[in-house]
Amino acid sequence: MTGFIALEMRRSLRDIRYLVIAVAMPIGLYLLFTGLFGAHGQRAQGLPQPVELMIAMIAYGAMWAVFSATGPRIAHERAIGWTRQLRVTPLSAASALSGKLVTALAAALPAMMLVAVTAVLSHHVQLSAAQWLAMLAAMWASVLPLALLGLAIGYLAGDEIAFPLTMALYFALGALGGLWIPLSTMPLAMQDIGQALPSNGVAELGWRIAGGQAPVPKAVLVLTAWLLGSATAALLAYRRRNTQSAH
Amino acid sequence: MSSAETDPIPTTQPEAGTALLASGDRPAVWASGLVKSYGPTVALAGLDLHVAAGETVALLGPNGAGKSTTIGLLLGLLSPARGQVQVYGRSPSQAVAGGLVGAMLQDAGLMPGVRVGELLAMVRGLYPRPLPLDELAAIADLGPLLGRRADRLSGGQGQRVRFAAAIAGDPLLLVLDEPTAAMDVQARRNFWAQIHAFAGRGRTVLFATHYLHEADGAADRVVVIADGRKVADGPPAAIKANFGDQQVRFTLRQGSPALLAALDGVRTVEHDHARVTLHTSDPDATVRALVRSDLQWSGLEVGGPDLETSFLRLLGDQS
Repeated sequence: MTGFIALEMRRSLRDIRYLVIAVAMPIGLYLLFTGLFGAHGQRAQGLPQPVELMIAMIAYGAMWAVFSATGPRIAHERAIGWTRQLRVTPLSAASALSGKLVTALAAALPAMMLVAVTAVLSHHVQLSAAQWLAMLAAMWASVLPLALLGLAIGYLAGDEIAFPLTMALYFALGALGGLWIPLSTMPLAMQDIGQALPSNGVAELGWRIAGGQAPVPKAVLVLTAWLLGSATAALLAYRRRNTQSAH
Repeated sequence: MSSAETDPIPTTQPEAGTALLASGDRPAVWASGLVKSYGPTVALAGLDLHVAAGETVALLGPNGAGKSTTIGLLLGLLSPARGQVQVYGRSPSQAVAGGLVGAMLQDAGLMPGVRVGELLAMVRGLYPRPLPLDELAAIADLGPLLGRRADRLSGGQGQRVRFAAAIAGDPLLLVLDEPTAAMDVQARRNFWAQIHAFAGRGRTVLFATHYLHEADGAADRVVVIADGRKVADGPPAAIKANFGDQQVRFTLRQGSPALLAALDGVRTVEHDHARVTLHTSDPDATVRALVRSDLQWSGLEVGGPDLETSFLRLLGDQS
């Protein structure tokens, strides 16, 4: 199984969609937004602009990293029959599934780290070592529901639709989740929707920790609900594709 | 379900070497009374299949006969509605999980985004005692393909790599579902030579095909299935002895192919480009008529019955 995961990771590092959208784009957007909105001034969370945007873009990059390693990739593998070939090797279904999850989470790390490095180098963002560690660890763990959501898409959607569908979801979750524009500047109804999204939950954990506060129970609750929901969806989707069909 | 109940399986995984010895005593495939339906469509209607260790067996039948369903059942991809199936005395899933089986499926593909060498190294790593990489590359004739991207291969190259992936774990049983469907004649010839090289190492091979000459040329034994049932089982020679016409083959250089059917004794005419096969009830009369005709031809062959004809007869007798 380690060989399987290692090869999946090597594949991610050669995947141009992952490199451009998950790694390069959040860095570019970070530099763009800090340029547009100015590197000073405070934003909604009471954090300095460069810190708040850094965390938003970390969440944004991590989200595409786990999506790109699951949804479109699994849908494509099903379409070309690689999933089927793998099923007649000794690799168990549970190992194949957990290998996909591990790969997706691993793909999130470089995307997250490079935004942080960019923020430190370009705007001298400073956090305590404990804050960096807690923030990155909490955000990393909280993309798990998104990885499971990607898994569900991979097993449900066809090869043609999986990529645009994942992309649309990624933009929607980014925009509505307050990663582009702070939720507090949106109408109240939009704020309620935004706070119920996992993308906002991931960023909210980061903003809280960077601001020296404990994560709000609401964000943790939202993420837990998404974790349970997307895990169930992923399991049902997987079973739907792997019971008693000749193809 | 599977016969795990009637034939207890050791709770601990045996050593690779002892697994080989212990598995040698058992039939490679033992299936009894397999029934499988998809909705109202009956795919298998009580199929028995026995393959001894070391045998090369062809599963021969037209599309829809139940070949792929049979293979799905003995790989654990499907479960039978009734009947039992064992692979080396284990349930199919256990045999696959234990690395006893390798398979080349009809609609299976390769991992995208990686090199062939990387892919095969990963697959080898999943098995307890894989083929050494150099041996694998030699049997499957991989050569320069190892450095190529697995998703950028031609049809024939992809087929070679899929074959390599199937034997990478040095499985005791190799299962192939219409493996040469996308190959040209030369590639087919090379492919069967590779299968022989692999089977010659004491391995069991079961392949499904509707290329009847393949079953004839490559198998020790042919199991013919139609409509989900076994309709014949024996060495290719025995099946040919019971059924079939004689054939006259040649390459037509000049003349109207329309004249061929009118030659003495001819029942049916087949064309493979300019190569003509006449199925005849009287090859002597057909050859005499051919000599007298104005047709220009070369490369004359006169042969005994082939499986193609046997097969058509078998199916005709069924209905």
